[in-house]
Amino acid sequence: MSQDGKFEFESVQDCLTIQKYLEALQEGFLQGRIVLNSDGSEICLNPGGFMKFEVSVKKKGAENKLVIKVSWKDKRDEPPATGEISITS
Amino acid sequence: MLKSIDGLDENFRFLIMEVQNQIKATYEFVLAPTPSTYDKIFSKDDYIDNLKNVIENKCFMTLNQTKLNPEQMKYLRAVHVITINLERIGDYCVNIAKQMGYLTTPRFLENFDYKDSFLKIHATINEILPVLQKANLSGALSICRMEDELDGMYKENFDKIMIHLRIGRNVEDHITSLFIIRYLERIGDSLLNIGEALLFVIIGERIKIQQFQALQRNLSKSGLQGDVTDVDFLGIWGSRSGCRIARVEEKSPQARNSIFKEGNLRKIRQEKINLECWNEIFPGLVPKVFSYQEEGDNASLLTEFLSGCTLDEAIFNADGEILENALFIFEQTVQHIWEQTLSRHDMPTNMMRQVGDRMSSILQVHPEFMRPAMGMGSVTIPSLGELIKQCMDIEARYPAPFSVFIHGDFNINNIIYSHQEQKVYFIDLHRSQHADYVQDVSVFLVSNFRLPVLEQEARERITRTIMSFYAFAKAFAVENRDESFDIRLGLGVARSLYTSTRFELNRSFAQSMYNRSLFLMERLAEQSPQDLTNFTFPLEIFNY
Repeated sequence: MSQDGKFEFESVQDCLTIQKYLEALQEGFLQGRIVLNSDGSEICLNPGGFMKFEVSVKKKGAENKLVIKVSWKDKRDEPPATGEISITS
Repeated sequence: MLKSIDGLDENFRFLIMEVQNQIKATYEFVLAPTPSTYDKIFSKDDYIDNLKNVIENKCFMTLNQTKLNPEQMKYLRAVHVITINLERIGDYCVNIAKQMGYLTTPRFLENFDYKDSFLKIHATINEILPVLQKANLSGALSICRMEDELDGMYKENFDKIMIHLRIGRNVEDHITSLFIIRYLERIGDSLLNIGEALLFVIIGERIKIQQFQALQRNLSKSGLQGDVTDVDFLGIWGSRSGCRIARVEEKSPQARNSIFKEGNLRKIRQEKINLECWNEIFPGLVPKVFSYQEEGDNASLLTEFLSGCTLDEAIFNADGEILENALFIFEQTVQHIWEQTLSRHDMPTNMMRQVGDRMSSILQVHPEFMRPAMGMGSVTIPSLGELIKQCMDIEARYPAPFSVFIHGDFNINNIIYSHQEQKVYFIDLHRSQHADYVQDVSVFLVSNFRLPVLEQEARERITRTIMSFYAFAKAFAVENRDESFDIRLGLGVARSLYTSTRFELNRSFAQSMYNRSLFLMERLAEQSPQDLTNFTFPLEIFNY
């Protein structure tokens, strides 16, 4: 994770593990708080209010791509960070 | 040969002449220094520098503008190397002249035997042009050997100087004298480079004098009548793990082709021992040893050249039926070896330790391939270090239930398939030993996966080879009641995928190997000890 509030995670997974990651995020949306950490540094997202939700799919031959993107702006009384979660499979 | 290249031949002759004059002038100056000789040496040095620049420009311009045949190319390359070294010799002459100024008296140098060095250097430079023009092999060799002679002379003088320095006599003059004779020794190094450049033109390949001498000894020991020029050095296969490998083809009617390997003593010696061992257990499976030589820290080996193609060539070039056939013969051969050499006793493995051993060279190429501990909401993602540690624990709990005599570096390109003889052969055997066969299985599978092709049909053939060999190895495991086969294969493949990234500069392909390696380690590490016995190797990870 870089200093400028970015968290990046790339891996190869099977359906079962991907489900585990999605459940963790789902739980975060439910609680309005998603904490992501890497190598000791941490980003805390507070999803809430109106959020942009995009799903895009590409299928070309045997290649498949599913992108889920959620973006929103924090409320004014909170730090002016832009949260974004992108899950690609 | 260079007449077609505008004046290069002439410039080169002049350079040789000027460096000879420089040696002569320096010798005269050392014997009886005068200001005029000193000036002469300095102005000559500028002239030598200019000539070097002119030759270098012409060499590069010729390369850029003229279509050269391979012979001309070699000639040009040698001229360039020789030029650079001649200019360096010129510089050493200037340095010697400068050092003379620090002696309290020029006569001090008379305490040492340096004259012979000057005379030998002068005579050797005199030989460069005739050797080049007549492609005279023994002449090139004697230029190379001059380095040894000059080293010997240097050593004698050095020892003498040390004796005086130890008792503190004329320290300044002795140190200056040491500098001067050291320059003469360095001229020897340049002469060696020149000699090797001449060998390159004559033999046609870059070869070092020790390698050449080793080849010569091996060929005569293996029964070749005549001279090394009676063989062709074909397709140098470059350097692998620090060893030089070349194919040697005799020109005689009873030509017998061979492979020449030269390099690290330990590796070559082990290879020779293993070849003999293999030949005893399975005659004809590995190349015959024609001859073997040791020299200092290096060794050299001349072995039989096996005709055929490597198994990866069969994947890419052969038609489907030939590939099927090659795989069938390959698997039959491996099964036979495993069955014949199987020894039932627990065999601990150290696959994960190898990950640690290679870590620094992996991170040098891909510094980011060291995942830290991470977290995403309630999910914790273990660091690579943690995964390796957990996998080491697993490895310690699951030794192999038996050992076989393994290849040890079971890369697909270390297997030769001869369609004509319907046989496979093994090459590159310096790591063969009694060990876990899964070591060979994992290396073989990953060496297929990492073949640098993306074209779909070729990838399908690769995947087919992987599937076939996995099914074969798994059947062997079942037959021999090896219950932890999939676990050890998971560890071995994770190890090979990760360590292979250090050879892969294509970032996205390297990343895909790295990700697959982590995936395997995660799947193994997350199992409880009871569940681990049900672990099935996820063969889909080899789909790319």
